[in-house]
Amino acid sequence: MKNNNLITPEGTNDLLFKECVMRRTVQKAVSEVFMERGYSEIITPGIEFLDVFNLNSRHFPQEELYKLVDRKGRLIVLRPESTMPIARVVATRLKEATLPLRLCYDQYAFNVSTQMRGRSDQICQAGIELIGSSDRITDFEVIETAAAVLEKCSTGDYSLEIGDIGYFKELMNQLSATDEDKETIRDFIEEKNYPALNDFLDTFGDNSITKALKMLPRLFGGEEVFEKASKLFSDEKTDAILSSLKELFKDIEKLGLKGRVTVDLGMVNKTDYYTGVILKGYMEGYGEPVISGGRYDKLISEFGYDVPATGFAVNVDAVAKIRLRNEKIAVREVEAIVFAEKGFEMKAVLHARKLRAEGMKVELGAFNDIDKVRKYAAEVKIEKIISVGENIKEI
Amino acid sequence: MSKPLRIALTKGRLEKDTVGLLESLGFDCTEVHEKGRKLILSIPDANLEVVLAKAADVITYVDRGVCDMGVVGKDTIMEMPGKFFEIVNLGFGKCKFALAGKKGVNFYGGFGVKTIATKYPNVARNFFEAKGMDVEIVKIEGSVELAPLLDLSDGIVDIVETGTTLRENGLEVKEDIAPIAARLIVNTVSMKMRQQEIEALVEKIEKKIAE
Repeated sequence: MKNNNLITPEGTNDLLFKECVMRRTVQKAVSEVFMERGYSEIITPGIEFLDVFNLNSRHFPQEELYKLVDRKGRLIVLRPESTMPIARVVATRLKEATLPLRLCYDQYAFNVSTQMRGRSDQICQAGIELIGSSDRITDFEVIETAAAVLEKCSTGDYSLEIGDIGYFKELMNQLSATDEDKETIRDFIEEKNYPALNDFLDTFGDNSITKALKMLPRLFGGEEVFEKASKLFSDEKTDAILSSLKELFKDIEKLGLKGRVTVDLGMVNKTDYYTGVILKGYMEGYGEPVISGGRYDKLISEFGYDVPATGFAVNVDAVAKIRLRNEKIAVREVEAIVFAEKGFEMKAVLHARKLRAEGMKVELGAFNDIDKVRKYAAEVKIEKIISVGENIKEI
Repeated sequence: MSKPLRIALTKGRLEKDTVGLLESLGFDCTEVHEKGRKLILSIPDANLEVVLAKAADVITYVDRGVCDMGVVGKDTIMEMPGKFFEIVNLGFGKCKFALAGKKGVNFYGGFGVKTIATKYPNVARNFFEAKGMDVEIVKIEGSVELAPLLDLSDGIVDIVETGTTLRENGLEVKEDIAPIAARLIVNTVSMKMRQQEIEALVEKIEKKIAE
């Protein structure tokens, strides 16, 4: 049998040295943004019952889940994301807690990704969930927090994009089509597959709804989008959604994000428990969104507790990867090696301790032979060796 | 001028057709014609950088965002879907996916599980899955038409242009699966971060195609 003891599974890799420093740097920056806004961390198990992710509003495709079987034969999965486990916690242990709840997390998510595209199956995600209010201020809070993350973590250009899934859902409500056809339309809009969408919608006749749906994937960009949209289709509900989103859009620009906020009315995620304002964050030099989230007012009720909520997740690995490419990391170098002469080991350990207390970064010489220690010091470029014997001297 | 937009073209016919299209828009493609061994070529007046690649790689490059746009056949997109926007049907590179088998034989006849030979296992699987039909799929790299002749398979799923090869080997199209033509695809982040430049180019292309 082939032995795989020297490699890691597809879609995973070991992080070494600077990669770890950068990952921790990003994690720290993101968690500071969350903490100073009053978010409290929660950690959920890495494995969950499949049922947690198999609700009415969101079915994870089976082939994208890592599955195990527990002792009783029940299906367990490696958590593919953190929002649903947190919804589970909120609907159970936190059911009596005072609202709003501000929860944050920083943990791995696992997905079986397309083979051989260089994607990770294990992603470090940090995020927030703001639970218990559907008032407008909470949309602001989540967007402002996402903007703060982008601002704090970006070294290059970035942009924040908002949308409202309600607009699409409202249009779809008015289209008489089967659920399957609606799913096809949603797919085409998500992929911005203009030609296929046009052809498919032609079979539903030529009316204001199909016209609007045909244009939907093109409705992204700056403020002009709202005008275009209102010309295409207008009724009480969609008008209300548009005007509220437009206000939000204009207000966000005041966060100092002018030119960096865009709107996309054709943002219609597949993983769809969203019910209102949704958002995505992009950073220059990365081919996928680094932030994604939105309002999900009905999700927690599927766990038996009817509370509105909103939130987002940051792909920490992606942010760290971008920054590693653009930045030099300064890691404090070791200043001296403390070498112990034979029989003076404990004296050397204590001396090293003393130096550290004085603020030096020192390591112990790992060999009894001074020549070996000298050779090591030369290779890793540590200039100072302090020898500890009867006397303590720099050599 | 900003950083050029990078576009990956599928080597061969789609490359020539795309360059023709860009030239008809008035862009100077001299460097692409006289490429020599260079792998990244520039079309300065369109602020484009051209990368020539195999079809499947075009998808990978755009999917991963190392190229902003790509030109690739619908056949490749169907076989290896990814995350990108598929925004223009360029109209050239036209052909179709079809199910073919021996002439005069009812492909769907009998109760046995059918065997399908193909270079496109995902396309074949999706086609029969949609029909709720179990089939055995054999991946072939070369001339797929041989498989039914050698009785390796009951049918083939392949790209059909004129149908001449099929006819000359006593095969016929049993069912069309999907029409194929070249597509312009765009990375999801590029579409947002460089919207104006991409939309300006797409608009020109769409206008030209409509002519």
